[in-house]
Amino acid sequence: MAGKTAIIASNGTLFDAYKVYNIATAAAASDHEVAIFFTFEGLNLINKEAYGQLPLPEGKEQIAEGFAKGNVPAIPELVEMAQELDVKFIGCQMTMDLFGLEKEAFVDGIDVGGAVTFLEFAKDADVTLTF
Amino acid sequence: MIQTDKILDAKGLACPMPIVRTKKAMKELEPGQVIEVQATDKGSLADMKAWAKSSGNQYLGTSEEGDVLKHYLRKADQLEEKEEVSFPHTVTNAELQEQMDRDDVIVLDVREPAEYAFGHIEGAVSIPLGELENRAQELDAEKEVIVICRTGNRSDFAAKQLAEKGFGRVKNAVEGMSQWNGITEQNNT
Repeated sequence: MAGKTAIIASNGTLFDAYKVYNIATAAAASDHEVAIFFTFEGLNLINKEAYGQLPLPEGKEQIAEGFAKGNVPAIPELVEMAQELDVKFIGCQMTMDLFGLEKEAFVDGIDVGGAVTFLEFAKDADVTLTF
Repeated sequence: MIQTDKILDAKGLACPMPIVRTKKAMKELEPGQVIEVQATDKGSLADMKAWAKSSGNQYLGTSEEGDVLKHYLRKADQLEEKEEVSFPHTVTNAELQEQMDRDDVIVLDVREPAEYAFGHIEGAVSIPLGELENRAQELDAEKEVIVICRTGNRSDFAAKQLAEKGFGRVKNAVEGMSQWNGITEQNNT
């Protein structure tokens, strides 16, 4: 492995999803070991009901057209790509409890853990990012 | 048109898909093989270079055709990085520089066509190592042949092959193009 990238996803709009998954897949394609910790609204990015129809940030609705024209992959596609590249998804147990969500509400193959699970991974990461 | 082992069509794809696709396609290549990646994402130019650097593969160059960027990359080959060469007759790049203009000297570049295209010694003859077996007769065996590649490794194999085929005066330019400071020319369009 060429490096290690640790990402916290804590927001739930379409913009946030692209930021998180673009960096994650690019890092994985560059042979980084990658883990994303999904917490608070970031859980939407792996929520089976939500991740296919994430909202644009308020007031930015006109960008929808740009997304359509720009040939950017859909979020579920990026999620699949990330998982194929062995990006590790960690759902935050504490926020899941808060929102009343079980592991089954999320895409397959996620781990569920607490803050320490992420910190353990991130403590010797080369790149740490928060979105 | 530069000859490669594989062409990847990543046209119309936005960042980071050209890199992700390249990574996947590279897995299917043999070490030392060359891929052409076609992309329309302008950011892919900087990204390909950075990706090649971090992944240990070789970025050869990019040519532009209209809106399409054609990136050329060569898969890393661990064998090339070892330093031992066994062909006894060698020249340094400085010696090559002095001798290459002589009429009885042929500079033979045995790298892949895409590597040659993005920078070679002026007048060097291009025959990739894999084709040398069948194409050695294109060379004049009466002349001195100085063989060069990137790091002196493929040229070592090539020099041995030529010696076995009856070429009397063969030398390996051991330092290779990676350390060549002289003038180069390109034909990458």
